[in-house]
Amino acid sequence: MRPRTRCPSSRPVATGSQTLKPPPSFHPAMISVRGLEKRYGDVTAVDGVSFEVDAGEVFGLVGPNGAGKTSTLKMLCGLVEPSAGDVTVNGFDASETEMRRSLGFLPEESPLYDEMTPRGYLRFFADLYDVDREAANERIEAALDRLDLDARDRPVGDFSKGMKRKVAIARSLVNDPDVLVYDEPASGLDPLTTNTVVEFTRELADDGKTIVFSAHDLHHVESVCDRVAIMRDGELAATGTLADIRDEHGDVSYRVFTDVPLADSGPAGDRHVTEVDSMADVEALRAEAGDAGGEVVDIRTEESTLEDVFLDVTGT
Amino acid sequence: MKARNVARIARWETTRSAGDIDRETAVAFVVVLVALAAIVPALVTMGPTPGEGIYRVGVSEDSQYADVVASDAQLAAVDPGAEADVVVTETGITYRDTPKGRAALSTLRSATVSYNDFLMGQEPDQAAAFPVVVSLTYLPQSISVTGQPANGGQQTGGDTGTGGDAGTGGQEPQTGAGTGTGGDVPTTGGGLSGLLGQAQSGTPSSISPPFPLQSLVFAFAFLLPLNVVIQAYGSSVLAERINRRGEPMLVAPISRGDIVAGKTLPYLLGALALISVIAVATGAGALSVLAIAPLAALFLAATFFGAMLARSYKELTFVTVTVSVGLTAYAFVPAVFAEVHPIAAISPLTVVVDSITGDGVTAGQLVLSMVPPGLAAFVLFGLGTGVYREEDMFTQLPIPSKFLDALAAPLTSQWRAGLWTALFLPFVFVGELFAVAVLFVAPVSVSVPLLLGAVAVIEEIAKSVHVFAGFERGQYDRSVRNALVVGAASGVGFFLAEKLLLVTQLVGLPELDVAQAAFSPELLGASPGLLLVAPLALHVVTAAVSAVGAARSRLAYLGTLALAIVLHVAYNLAVVVVSLG
Repeated sequence: MRPRTRCPSSRPVATGSQTLKPPPSFHPAMISVRGLEKRYGDVTAVDGVSFEVDAGEVFGLVGPNGAGKTSTLKMLCGLVEPSAGDVTVNGFDASETEMRRSLGFLPEESPLYDEMTPRGYLRFFADLYDVDREAANERIEAALDRLDLDARDRPVGDFSKGMKRKVAIARSLVNDPDVLVYDEPASGLDPLTTNTVVEFTRELADDGKTIVFSAHDLHHVESVCDRVAIMRDGELAATGTLADIRDEHGDVSYRVFTDVPLADSGPAGDRHVTEVDSMADVEALRAEAGDAGGEVVDIRTEESTLEDVFLDVTGT
Repeated sequence: MKARNVARIARWETTRSAGDIDRETAVAFVVVLVALAAIVPALVTMGPTPGEGIYRVGVSEDSQYADVVASDAQLAAVDPGAEADVVVTETGITYRDTPKGRAALSTLRSATVSYNDFLMGQEPDQAAAFPVVVSLTYLPQSISVTGQPANGGQQTGGDTGTGGDAGTGGQEPQTGAGTGTGGDVPTTGGGLSGLLGQAQSGTPSSISPPFPLQSLVFAFAFLLPLNVVIQAYGSSVLAERINRRGEPMLVAPISRGDIVAGKTLPYLLGALALISVIAVATGAGALSVLAIAPLAALFLAATFFGAMLARSYKELTFVTVTVSVGLTAYAFVPAVFAEVHPIAAISPLTVVVDSITGDGVTAGQLVLSMVPPGLAAFVLFGLGTGVYREEDMFTQLPIPSKFLDALAAPLTSQWRAGLWTALFLPFVFVGELFAVAVLFVAPVSVSVPLLLGAVAVIEEIAKSVHVFAGFERGQYDRSVRNALVVGAASGVGFFLAEKLLLVTQLVGLPELDVAQAAFSPELLGASPGLLLVAPLALHVVTAAVSAVGAARSRLAYLGTLALAIVLHVAYNLAVVVVSLG
């Protein structure tokens, strides 16, 4: 049996029918993952993953298919029991039912009941989270307004994939959670809907939500996340801010343009270009050009894109 | 489990399911309900009566018995010269020495008593003869037996009794029915002994009809709603697993038990509501609803568990058909022998039959008919809830693989193997009761050996299949020592739970040779210590044998399971042989 980790002093205090949540800032880390493992028979899906996410932080989880992102997110939500390791969310062990009150989960698919309307569906889930009817109605209407979903009393079976995604996102918000765990929130959506979803995620981050989400599209990660973890074969291959990861795993090159040919230069219109990896080399080229009676007329810096870093880290 | 969460989900399930039904289906459902509501009372009040006119009575029109025959739907009057089961002549009554002939005679006697009671009940002034007290006594008269058709070559004979002194009822026909002693009691038949109030036992060949056919038909009506409800219920459970629709609810702050209970409750209540309607229509009473409730839960539990294993609606259809056929057979086959054989006590439908016919229902009968299906339902819901989780719900593994998952999930420690063996006992009980119900029709020389084999197979599988699952799914380390410990735990669990089978004593089931072989094969004259140690040793040894194989491989498990079964059969045979001297 896995030992439960809990911060006793941070447990919500029950007063009558009300359950008071501790303020998010009470915890140094809203989410803490330590030594997380998940094995399915002989296959290890997640292998010793550890990270922390601070309150209000947006944390991206990226990696190729089968890297263990979804398994990690599901263990974060208490959906899947870890083979080893601990996960705490807002002071609760992930296996505790009460933890789920702090959490909104958006799975990769949008599993809805086709015969239900968005309003009926969302009210049902608000009910499960003990949200009173008035507050639930306000939240539901606000979320659907922000997501620009007007068809609220039609069966969702008639909806497009994007509309269903919006309903699923709204469901993750009915309990006004402090933590949102989104698995591929924009997966398979058209560009317009994708943009809406990404923008909405950014707004949620601005509202102070702690968000962990996985994505394939690295531009979304780059535009939303404060920090990123790159997974490979069930392990964390890199963690940090995008700048940190670029520094550690990315490349920087300099294209130095001169008005005279140099030893390693090539033609570039009426100029000559030489590519080097460091500023020291740039200075050396400047000296070489001066010796040849010319000068450096332009220097262009080229950094690795997130995709380049991703490919480098994941070895794909 | 929280009642509030269960109620929320139940309410949602009800409204959602209602919204999921298209208009045509709703109309068809209403039509069926209306038809059921109309037909059942009509059946009760106006017939047709099952078995109407099945017994032919040769009786002349001017005989006093002609009115008796006309008063009973099961009797059909034919000319005395025609082929008949019973022939009434001026000198006495002749019946064929066949089960049907004896049944016809029994029915004629019952009809005569009823007819006389009816006539006397018509007297407007019941106190007219005061202070004379009228006591109607039936005395034996001439009853002859023939092995040939009653219309020819009858071998009449025996005592020719008098019509008896019937006081004021002297004008009425009298037969030897009632509580008096018989005249010539055929030595070959059990019919008269039954009529004379002697206990009936043995196989159906020695049991005299009539069975309570009409009551059985009505009792069967109690099963119809269950077969309909499980279709909708199974679809609803499987729908949660299709396209991962049930996943968001697993992240809500509610337990799996809340979800399962909430989804099940509307269907259980719906089934009970339909059963209640039928109970009112048939006059079966509240006790019948109470008796059927665990069976309804078992229908739903088996469907739920099956729906948790099925990968498609096609497989679900297979599941629901299996559940329907299996449980309907379990409930209906023993109930056929209601009022004529103690084996009927295992079926809740027997309670229904007895309620309809006005016969009493004993506490032991109620316990035996309700507890096994109730416990079996509880365990199946438990197993199904164990795999109502993300890791099992949405995977497309074959049914046997998911079955092993379900069995292995609760085995988080070695002693739990014993606990779950004990929890499987309701299934053992149900299986063995059903085997008894099926095999008791055969001669004892055949049925007892067959049953001993069936019992060994059922019990050894129950003791080892989850242990095998535990090793297959990595819950237990594959070592001989581990296997021995887990096997011993399983054997002890079975032994302790088996003592619950003493409930069969409540209804006298072990009085049957075949049931004794199944439930209480004990060494006559053995010391109490040996009576405890011997079965405990048997269960521990055979469970350990199977567990050792289970720890090695699937093939080894099959081999050791077969060995355990052989050991078990040998033990049972030895016990029976010793007991029979």
